[in-house]
Amino acid sequence: MDSPEAKILIEQKQELIDQYLQGQEFNFLEKMTTRLDEYFYRVFEKSIAARKMVISGNPFAIIALGGYGRKEQCIHSDIDLLILFDKAIPPDVEAFVQELLYPLWDARFEVGYAVRSINECIKMSFERFDILTTVLDARFICGASLIYSEFMEKFRQQLSAKHLKPTLNYLYENGEKRLADFGDSSYLVSPDVKSGFGGLRDYHTLLWYAKIKSNIKTRRDLEYYGFLSHFEYENLEDALNYIWDVRNRLHYISQRKNDTLHFEHQAEVAGLMDYADTSGAPQVEVFLGELHEKMDFLKQIYQITFEDIVSTCRIKKETVVSRPTKTDGLVVKKRRLYFVNTVTIIQHPDLLLRIFLESGQTRIPLSIEARRVASEFRHLVDDEIRTDPACVKIFKRILGMSMWKFNVLNVMLSTGILPQFIPEFSSLVHKIQYNQYHLFPVDKHSIRCVQILNGFKYPDDTMMGSLYNSVFKEIRNKNVLLVAGLLHDIGKADPAKEHSRRGARIAGPVVDRLGFSPVEKEDILFLIENHLFLAKTATRRDIYDEETAVYTAHKIGKIRLLRMLFLITVADSKATGPKAWNDWTENLIKDLFFKTMSIIKTGELASKKTQRLIEKKKKDVLDLLRESWREEEVNRQLSAMSRRYLLYVSPQNIVEHINLFRNLGDREYIWQITKDNESDMRTVSICGKDKPGFYSKLAGVFFQNNIDIVGSQAYFLGDSYFLDIFNVRPPQDRLFEKEKWEKAGQDLSMALEDDHYLDNVLDKIPTEVTISSGSRPEDSQVRIDNETSSFFTIIEVLTYDFPGLLFAITNTLYRAGINVNVAMVATKVDQVIDVFYVRDIEGDQKIESEEKLNQIKNAIINRLPQMQSKEVMNEKN
Amino acid sequence: MKKIEAIIKPFKLDDVKEALSEIGIYGMTVTEVNGYGRQKGHKEIYRGAEYVVDFVPKIKLEIVVTDDRLDETVETIRSATNSGKIGDGKIFVLPVEEAIRVRTGERGDDAI
Repeated sequence: MDSPEAKILIEQKQELIDQYLQGQEFNFLEKMTTRLDEYFYRVFEKSIAARKMVISGNPFAIIALGGYGRKEQCIHSDIDLLILFDKAIPPDVEAFVQELLYPLWDARFEVGYAVRSINECIKMSFERFDILTTVLDARFICGASLIYSEFMEKFRQQLSAKHLKPTLNYLYENGEKRLADFGDSSYLVSPDVKSGFGGLRDYHTLLWYAKIKSNIKTRRDLEYYGFLSHFEYENLEDALNYIWDVRNRLHYISQRKNDTLHFEHQAEVAGLMDYADTSGAPQVEVFLGELHEKMDFLKQIYQITFEDIVSTCRIKKETVVSRPTKTDGLVVKKRRLYFVNTVTIIQHPDLLLRIFLESGQTRIPLSIEARRVASEFRHLVDDEIRTDPACVKIFKRILGMSMWKFNVLNVMLSTGILPQFIPEFSSLVHKIQYNQYHLFPVDKHSIRCVQILNGFKYPDDTMMGSLYNSVFKEIRNKNVLLVAGLLHDIGKADPAKEHSRRGARIAGPVVDRLGFSPVEKEDILFLIENHLFLAKTATRRDIYDEETAVYTAHKIGKIRLLRMLFLITVADSKATGPKAWNDWTENLIKDLFFKTMSIIKTGELASKKTQRLIEKKKKDVLDLLRESWREEEVNRQLSAMSRRYLLYVSPQNIVEHINLFRNLGDREYIWQITKDNESDMRTVSICGKDKPGFYSKLAGVFFQNNIDIVGSQAYFLGDSYFLDIFNVRPPQDRLFEKEKWEKAGQDLSMALEDDHYLDNVLDKIPTEVTISSGSRPEDSQVRIDNETSSFFTIIEVLTYDFPGLLFAITNTLYRAGINVNVAMVATKVDQVIDVFYVRDIEGDQKIESEEKLNQIKNAIINRLPQMQSKEVMNEKN
Repeated sequence: MKKIEAIIKPFKLDDVKEALSEIGIYGMTVTEVNGYGRQKGHKEIYRGAEYVVDFVPKIKLEIVVTDDRLDETVETIRSATNSGKIGDGKIFVLPVEEAIRVRTGERGDDAI
């Protein structure tokens, strides 16, 4: 279809775009609207179909809706049209729509239209929120103006009669939903300049609110009707023009209606908007900084609107007169905080902090004037204020009030009071990290981190939410946590340096000024310096290895520090952006937290004392091996060894084991039998590649060869090697001791080859045992502890010694699919306490199922013989 | 052409990347995934509340190589991730029908 009218429109549009791009047209949106209006006039005037309908008694109005109705037409904005009839809709309308819209569609305009009667349209408006808002922006273009005015009148009537509150509720809920869907757009890597938080929708919401409440006609009325102050209105105009400009250029570049400023478009838009350094390269970070500032303002406007909507829905009467607050020198007017006058500020500069406390407590925002005043008088916050105990206390309370929906700390930042109170913070202000990973400038990021920490006060209904909440509740000194959260990135001003350590250095004087005790200061600086530690460890080390948790526990040392570090890690990652935080990362960090927690709580492997002991042992081993080994070789060996092993084995024995290990080569195992000089005992040390059941088979072979086990320990050496130590009594027949050991060695090889080689030995385990000590024996006990360690199920067996005891227990475990990773077996006279750290062979992890734990417990008990004392025997006889 | 999909432990990623770059393989797709296998999730108890993790965090690597480089690549990944323990992961090899470099339109081995 070749329409001359459309042709004119297309030419006009192109001309307009050209002028705009050359910087000669500053009023593109309204001009574009006018050109469209003119097109509709022309077509309407010439249309025969339209004339027919009017003559046959069906007059109608052509009405612009939505953005077109508001005269805010960007290059590729949709055109929303309503063709409105008084009552019935005549069939001829189809022909008219063809005449009117087909040429536009052909020319690739995005046109949406509806043909409705007045009542139909009103009914739908109150049923559907998206229709309601477009109707709020309705503007008459041409046709029967009476129909338009009748429609608007009816609409207003019904709105004020019965739909006011539901409509405002709609507006409120829609805002909440939008926030959930789009998030805080002003700091996303790809901000949505229309629908995101901080986008144009924020302004639309204000406009709709004003239209619903006071039937205002244009944006200008926002000030006249008192929705905005003069300053606010001027700032709004400024921000809108800027964002519209960005949006228009974005449409132009992407050649379609696109409102998301994608990463790859940012440099081009910056270039088009003349952000360039002297060499002509676009200054993207400067451009984004300014865009953020404007979007930030829209966000503030939205928050004011939001507040108003809430108060309109809830508060019946509005007080126009100012009323005093709890703080002298501050008043509330129309739900905004004001300074009484500027003279009081000069007399009491602490008001510059108190106003934020008042705002946080009452949830009444600072008026724009108060913000301006605070900003202008911020130089009054000097060293005296910074170190004044009362002011420091106020500041700490403000930190605790930094919340997601009402973040007073953000206002404190935007007025410049925060960087004035903590001058070290000013190096972070607007520090943008232009990459896909960091969504926020460092200053905002730090505040978000505090805000997220405060959010842990309230449990949400997720599993993780309740964990954060319960950890948060256990932290006694929240100020330590919050200040560390605020300052964790304080070292970021210099990107070249390692920011954590640098940050701890810079934070020192700040923490002093804030009056923290030496212990608190040490905690805060530790948290700053190590704020990346947990996240790094969780992703770069094997968290299923106990050594990782021991290493972490050793580094952190105290439970309170671990708790705080955990929450700061979570808050920091969450505040960075979705690339730094997801379920996957969350799980890794949480796991490391749990595992480290249990290591610190147990204290066995990571306490300071343990550390000292192990360090000393390492040194001793080094000294002992200096002759025959290179130092780095020994260190490598030592660092691969498990801490539990280093803790419990003497340096002399470690040396022997290292030598033993060196001779292992490709063999499955290697053993060494040494004679104890003092007591006539033998120590058998066995080292080999870890294999489930090995320990049990060893015990079985000793039993088979009548070698009496007095004590035993099993460890991993690290790198999937094990080391078992058996203290045994020598064979009774000393003459052939060597041969006896050789026989045992052969049996072990057979047992390793054939899993059932030792089955017949099982039958030799006694079913009844007589206790030599006089008193009545206690029942054997099996205790299972599944809480102390995150890595192992700990099984304790308390019983009396008998030949084959160790084999009886460990074989039962092995047959149940359980591997013994660590064992400590000790005999005292005839009583025995055996402790086993075990894991499921399948899955290589601790045993989770209650059922299985019970089965194991019963299996061990059943395997143990009946214990009887001599007296009982005598009675029987 | 073959596509190699390897499921590995997260902390092994750097080792694998390094080993692959030593044999001249730089391009790969890395995804954070959740595994359910012989190595099961577990539960932790904190202040009386149970926290259950029913999967194990893993990394998935995807690499497309020409047929003649397949064995070398698979072996490199295997030796970089092998600790002899459960949970070391798995490597899958799939045939690839065609590869096209979007920018130039090159096809087959040239596009890898």
